[in-house]
Amino acid sequence: MNRILNWFRLRRLEGDLDRELQYHIDRRVTDLIDSGLPEPEARRLAALELGGATQIREEVRDIWLNRWLRDFVHDLRFSARSILRSPLFTATAVLSLALGIGATTAVFSVINTVLLRPLPYPDSDRLVQIWSTNPNSNRWGMWTAYPRFEDWHRQNTVFEEMATARTRVINMNGGDHPESLFGVITSSQLLQLLRVQPMLGRGFLPEEDQPGHDHVIILSYSLWQRRFGSDRAVIGRTVYLDQQNYTVIGVMPSDFRFPPELPASHRVDAWFPPAPDPSRSERGSNNYYTFARLKPGITLAQAQAEMDVINQRLAETYPEDRGMGVEVAGWRQQVGSEVRPALLILLGAISLVLLIACANVANLLLARGAVRQRETALRQALGAGHTRLIRQFMTETMLLAVFGGITGLLMAYGGLDLFIRLAPDIPRLNETTIDLHVLMFTAVLTLGTGMIFGIAPALQGSRDLQDSVKESGGRLTIGATRARARSVLVIAEMALALMLLAGAGLLVRSFVRVQQVDPGFNPKNLLTAFVILPPPKYPEPWHQAQFFHELTDRIASLPEVECAGAADSAPMLTNDTGPVSIEGHPVGPDEAEIQAERPKITPDYFRAMGIRFLRGRTFTWADNEGSLPVAIINESAARQYWPTEDAMGKRVKLEDGSAPVWREVIGIVGNVRQDSLAEAGRPEVYAPLLQVPVPYVALVVRTRVEPTALTAAVRHAVMEADRDQPLFQIQTMQQVVEDSVAGRRFQMSLLGAFAAIALGLAAIGIYGLMSYTVNQRTHEIGIRMALGAKREDVLNLVVRHGMMLAIAGVVLGTGGALLLTRFISSMLYGVGVNDPTTLLSVATLLVGVAALASYIPARRATRVDPMVALRYE
Amino acid sequence: MPSSRFPIPQGTLDMLILQILSLEPAHGYGVAQRLEQISKSVVQVNQGSLYPALHRLELRGWLKADWKESETGREAKFYSLTRSGQKQLRVEKDSWARLTEAVQLIFDEGPAQ
Repeated sequence: MNRILNWFRLRRLEGDLDRELQYHIDRRVTDLIDSGLPEPEARRLAALELGGATQIREEVRDIWLNRWLRDFVHDLRFSARSILRSPLFTATAVLSLALGIGATTAVFSVINTVLLRPLPYPDSDRLVQIWSTNPNSNRWGMWTAYPRFEDWHRQNTVFEEMATARTRVINMNGGDHPESLFGVITSSQLLQLLRVQPMLGRGFLPEEDQPGHDHVIILSYSLWQRRFGSDRAVIGRTVYLDQQNYTVIGVMPSDFRFPPELPASHRVDAWFPPAPDPSRSERGSNNYYTFARLKPGITLAQAQAEMDVINQRLAETYPEDRGMGVEVAGWRQQVGSEVRPALLILLGAISLVLLIACANVANLLLARGAVRQRETALRQALGAGHTRLIRQFMTETMLLAVFGGITGLLMAYGGLDLFIRLAPDIPRLNETTIDLHVLMFTAVLTLGTGMIFGIAPALQGSRDLQDSVKESGGRLTIGATRARARSVLVIAEMALALMLLAGAGLLVRSFVRVQQVDPGFNPKNLLTAFVILPPPKYPEPWHQAQFFHELTDRIASLPEVECAGAADSAPMLTNDTGPVSIEGHPVGPDEAEIQAERPKITPDYFRAMGIRFLRGRTFTWADNEGSLPVAIINESAARQYWPTEDAMGKRVKLEDGSAPVWREVIGIVGNVRQDSLAEAGRPEVYAPLLQVPVPYVALVVRTRVEPTALTAAVRHAVMEADRDQPLFQIQTMQQVVEDSVAGRRFQMSLLGAFAAIALGLAAIGIYGLMSYTVNQRTHEIGIRMALGAKREDVLNLVVRHGMMLAIAGVVLGTGGALLLTRFISSMLYGVGVNDPTTLLSVATLLVGVAALASYIPARRATRVDPMVALRYE
Repeated sequence: MPSSRFPIPQGTLDMLILQILSLEPAHGYGVAQRLEQISKSVVQVNQGSLYPALHRLELRGWLKADWKESETGREAKFYSLTRSGQKQLRVEKDSWARLTEAVQLIFDEGPAQ
């Protein structure tokens, strides 16, 4: 800052010097002409006598710069001594700033990584995602069918490379530990597109997209370490996956992540070519995720335009493509898009905390300025200029800010791991580091902070200087303006704190509401895991269903197990959302199809989950492929599909590609919260697993003991049924439910912590001001007491003053809160953005804390001895 | 012309400027002219070093500068002595006197030419 100031001063200085020299030359020329020289000669001589103007200018500038540098070093040393002389003041100020700057830095470093940093691939700014859309049914960001991708790939001219991917869980057999691998199926262009090289071996070849050449696998670094003992000779080895042989062709480096939008804790074990996937020939199955690299110089809009044209052409050729749209979007922007609002809100909240910290430090500085008035007056009397004193003051302020900034940076550095550990699983979070951008952000933040909290005290300081020149016996007047400035700061702190408290309060109430939600099932004592059968080993649907029948029976017979069920769609675990038909209610050509959750379940599923059974009968093992097709629906489906009739005995059809048959509704169950606690129960249509077999299920095992105690027994039961069959993602339901509110919990905790800091800072602020006021008014209080004021009166006087400030802050803060809380409306549940209860409680809390903070100095005021106070003047 | 004059001894320019300004405030050109007149062209002042010297003295707080209307009616930067400048002039005169005295004594001791 000093440097900037000098630069301006230097410009003025040079202007001055030029004028001065010009004056000299003009006078000399006139004099020489007067003495008889011709003008050109006079000009030449005058310039010669003076020597080079440039040289003079440089010499003078050096003199000034030297001086400023010396002043600066002097100011710095003086400031350092001065702030070290009052360690308590310095510690409070530096700590306040460090908390604010540190927390802001930490939040920013996450934003920097998740939202701003380029994707971890070379030249990633040209990477895009390509989504299918269906504007008629208002569906956006859909995946794409493989044949459609192939057409895009062949016909486009705007992309250097285009590839597609989907996830696939595949069982790795062999040895005593069958394991489910989390794999990604991808077309062969992947690595060229990303411009990434394998650490060992090679990437996929184009022909490996085709059946017959597709049994190849690229390992992740962690799988290579875990299952292959980091053996560099692994390339060319055969591994046994889903009962088939695959050849290892490559190993990726440890820092390779794909897809980048997977949450940080998700690991990908391996990459496969797309060929083994049976759905890839279906033009109607939109289950491939497509991305591309733009050719150099092609804009997003150009790419979009060409894709629109291609899409138009495809819609004319294929009936499945009718009504489908396409959207090209920058990839990096997509990765963090879901967490962007939450992160920005956190940044906003922490900025408010930082502002409060600034106000607090400004307050401390003002109080300190009052104490140092004598020192300042003395220095001025000794000849220190006005600007010199202000500059000295600003140096001190900046020094505090820099100390605060450095401490804050260290705190952010130390706290980042904790922050990441507490944060919910969001993409790229684990890449978070304090990089150059963060450092620059912190530097700017620190200087800005210094300016903000330095302004009020510096202005006050300069007013003091003018006052002290007048020397109008003005202790009271100086005190008064200072107290006014400090009152404004305290009111501002109160208002900001109230806004944060209101936000945090709303989140806390939302969280409590969410926790109180009845999910429609009982998550206690429930163990869950996925079983995914390899199609080559279980090609027949009845074989798959039979396996799950046997498996659930086997598990149910384990000691300490109450019952066991299985479903291919279970709350918070897995979904099968899709169209259903209702007999007698055909969907018109322009109407959107009827969507429902369509779990295929074993008979004991409801009992194991603890889902309420309302009417009719539940499924039995006798509901098999040979018997009458049946279905059970939930309340929500009953109400929506047959609003005026009894649903029992009516018929529904699952439109899921299996042989569509009408199923009779034989029972009604309670709703469950399918995707999150905050979401109301959606329509569900359950069908018996034996009638609609599926190759993968979520197992739900109700236990009589702590569910994790049965992990080994359940695993063993699965291996008894098929010794090559692993379990995938064994979790307790309680954990699953808790994870589902992890984001909410994190936002609440963080905003709560910010609000608590804000409250603490504001309390310190009002305490400081009231202590100061009491000191200033000792004389007045003494007189009042001498005139008969009682202790309570004095107590009242001071506390009332504090209350006035707090209430002014609350009024302003409430206005601010009413404006700001709507930004967190998407995070709320069961509570309005302007919830009066919340506002009232946080206002009461704030006023209460302010009362307490003013009470302590007020007590001190009551101990003023009138005689001492009077003599003091 | 320049060869007949000798260059001003190192460090004495500041003293001469203070002395000249102790009589009355003047602008840079005025100081140059006064130096020229008083020294009867014996001392050669490099005008190029005059301005850095003025600024140096200003920064030390011995001179203060104001833009004022000059005798020709144009604005010029006038320098004048501050109180500490006056003190400094006394100190410098004093030590100059002692130095020349000492030098004279040494000359007096030596063999005459």
